[in-house]
Amino acid sequence: MTKIALLNSVEHQPLKVITERGAAYGDNLWFTPTFPLEFRSVQAQYPIFFHKDQQTGKLYPVALFGFSHQENLFLQSNNWQHSYIPLSVLRLPFLIGQQTVREDGVEHQQRVIHIDVEHPRVSKAQGEALFLPFGGNSPYLEQVAGMLETLHFGLQDSQQFVEQLLALELLEAFALDVQLDDGTKHQMIGFYTINEDKLKALSAEALTALHQRGYLQAIYMALASQSNIRNLLKLKNQLLQQAAG
Amino acid sequence: MDNPIRSLVIVGGGAAGWITAGLLAAEHNADQGVLAAIPKLTISLIESPDVPIIGVGEGTWPSMRLTLQKIGIGETEFLLCCDASFKQGSKFIHWRGQTAANRSFPDSYIHPFSLPIGQQELNLCPFWLPHQQDVAFADAVCQQFQLAELGLAPKQISTAEYSFINNYGYHLNAGKFSQLLQKHVTEKLGVRYIADHVTAIHSQQNGDIASLSTKSHGEISGDLFIDCSGSRSMLLGEHLQVPMISQQQVLFNDSALAVQMPYPTADAAIASCTHATAQSCGWIWDIGLPTRRGIGHVYSSAHLSDDAAEQQLRRYLTADFGASAASSAEFRKLSFAPGHRALCWKNNCIAIGMAAGFIEPLEASALALVEWTAKALSSQLPANRAVMDIVAARVNKVFLQHWQQIVEFLKLHYVLSQRADDDYWYEHRESSSIPTSLQDALQLWRYQVPSAMDISHSDVLFPAASYQYVLYGMGFQTQLSGSQKPSLQRKAQQLFNENIQRIQTLKQVLDDNRSLLQKIRQHGLPTI
Repeated sequence: MTKIALLNSVEHQPLKVITERGAAYGDNLWFTPTFPLEFRSVQAQYPIFFHKDQQTGKLYPVALFGFSHQENLFLQSNNWQHSYIPLSVLRLPFLIGQQTVREDGVEHQQRVIHIDVEHPRVSKAQGEALFLPFGGNSPYLEQVAGMLETLHFGLQDSQQFVEQLLALELLEAFALDVQLDDGTKHQMIGFYTINEDKLKALSAEALTALHQRGYLQAIYMALASQSNIRNLLKLKNQLLQQAAG
Repeated sequence: MDNPIRSLVIVGGGAAGWITAGLLAAEHNADQGVLAAIPKLTISLIESPDVPIIGVGEGTWPSMRLTLQKIGIGETEFLLCCDASFKQGSKFIHWRGQTAANRSFPDSYIHPFSLPIGQQELNLCPFWLPHQQDVAFADAVCQQFQLAELGLAPKQISTAEYSFINNYGYHLNAGKFSQLLQKHVTEKLGVRYIADHVTAIHSQQNGDIASLSTKSHGEISGDLFIDCSGSRSMLLGEHLQVPMISQQQVLFNDSALAVQMPYPTADAAIASCTHATAQSCGWIWDIGLPTRRGIGHVYSSAHLSDDAAEQQLRRYLTADFGASAASSAEFRKLSFAPGHRALCWKNNCIAIGMAAGFIEPLEASALALVEWTAKALSSQLPANRAVMDIVAARVNKVFLQHWQQIVEFLKLHYVLSQRADDDYWYEHRESSSIPTSLQDALQLWRYQVPSAMDISHSDVLFPAASYQYVLYGMGFQTQLSGSQKPSLQRKAQQLFNENIQRIQTLKQVLDDNRSLLQKIRQHGLPTI
């Protein structure tokens, strides 16, 4: 269940947020949204593909953690096996909201922090405090605010990135076929990747336009990230061995 | 005689003219939607500025998806511009007629656009026959039956443009459709649009059309002329004197009353199929667009007066819209001569659309035939005048095959009826009104199910599955001799079960038609 509320220091004064990792806290994710501005960190560890939002049909880049629903191979007991955790995971249970405010008689949109008070990370007993005992934001909350701000602009940029890719027909569906050490075969569908033939055939103008926005680099980082599939396979096979042994 | 074919002149706008212009230009003058620097063909379309477009064909076949894609119009743009919704088939209501023997079965069935499951491996029909008391044929072999009945969309918001979960065509606003096509074809595909009246047609010595005189654009010459002038058939019929072949002795309907009705509420469900409800001397169509319902009564003027036809239509409207809306509705009267020209291509002139023929819209074949003829022309466009007659002969042959199949397939709907409320239905069942080849097929189908063998040519409009859907939807009895092989029976059982499972899964994940159209308005469909 989720219950989204506008974060405020009165109602939410006593709340804390658990920052440990674990399936119990909703970290058993197959994949999570990412965006070009964090590709450099993400591609070091996770494969980057594209996936469709089931509610809108829009494509967005994702960092892949496993081969099936609720499988995060990087999660072992209460430990996330890698140093970089994508911002869209790290920011939980917080969300970015929009609020209309009137300033000098003019209405404008302001970004505000929302919290899912029903999220398993939210606690009154343990975790990081959100507010200081006598008012004011805790350093943790300040950190969260910065993270949400980065995520907000990152996702906006990501949308434009995807629109550019689509306009240049650089995305294509693919099926990932994997064979595990125990001989079982799995096919993962519903993901999209860069069409390298189309990329090679791009005109100089198109390449320049991509480069100027930093998207050319993002494209190559996404391509390079595919080798991380091997790491995922290794982790999966280790799990199978442990289960068998 | 070996003049190259470079200049094409289309007479008449409307969907037929613009689809033809679009397919020709996309095939010959553009590469992946980008107009060539030096287009191979010059394509002009002349349309009389004050001739109203007859809004026939508000329903399309799934082939329209490919046609639009070829022309280069995005599906999101098309859906929004043309008030279009998804059509997954036709639903026939009260066609069978109630008798003492069949009273316990519902008198309605669906002819869905999807083929039976496992069609490539196995003809499921013989394996369904023993279960015909328990489950309708379309329900047993096709997931689309239940999903369409529930008003669920044939795809999801994440399904790419023109891709599907269940096969579909469209219901659309024909006027807006022509406008979108015109805009796209003139702006993106370089087709020249001439709004003018054709005042005279000039011939060459061999009978070919040399040029057309227009009121204010002077004389317009061309190598090939395409007659999309509607039922007037200005070039092929009037000028080249290609005669009509009437089909009224087989299919009696020659009149229609049409009306557009707003939905009773803004969020009313949009039906997934064209509804065709049988009446005493014809039937009523009912087509749900997002914005309104298009409803009409098509009937035989020899059997029913216009007044009586109007009464029946008002009675139909009363059930859904209430007595006051029904009594104040204003109808548009249309008359047509059911039939087609003896040829569609003579000399250097090919007719497409109503200029080549028209029949009651029972299976919405009008636009499908436009698409077929335009594609045939575009893909076989003769290089020069010397070889044109060879291509024309080929196209004419298939044109007549298609017409024969359309006439016989439509007739099938009437022949199988047990309605007894008017002479109309008895006369439809008299053997003198039934084409011989259809009589033969019906004889065969008493002992074997329809198969591809029953259709004498390839590139068919209606596959064997269509005959199965109609025959068994109407309660036709086929007595097979002997039993089926056990291995095939197991395979069939597997397919029946798979069908049931797919229905269960898809019921959970598909939106209703209106919700999906709303999402498309908001987000657009993905292009991949």
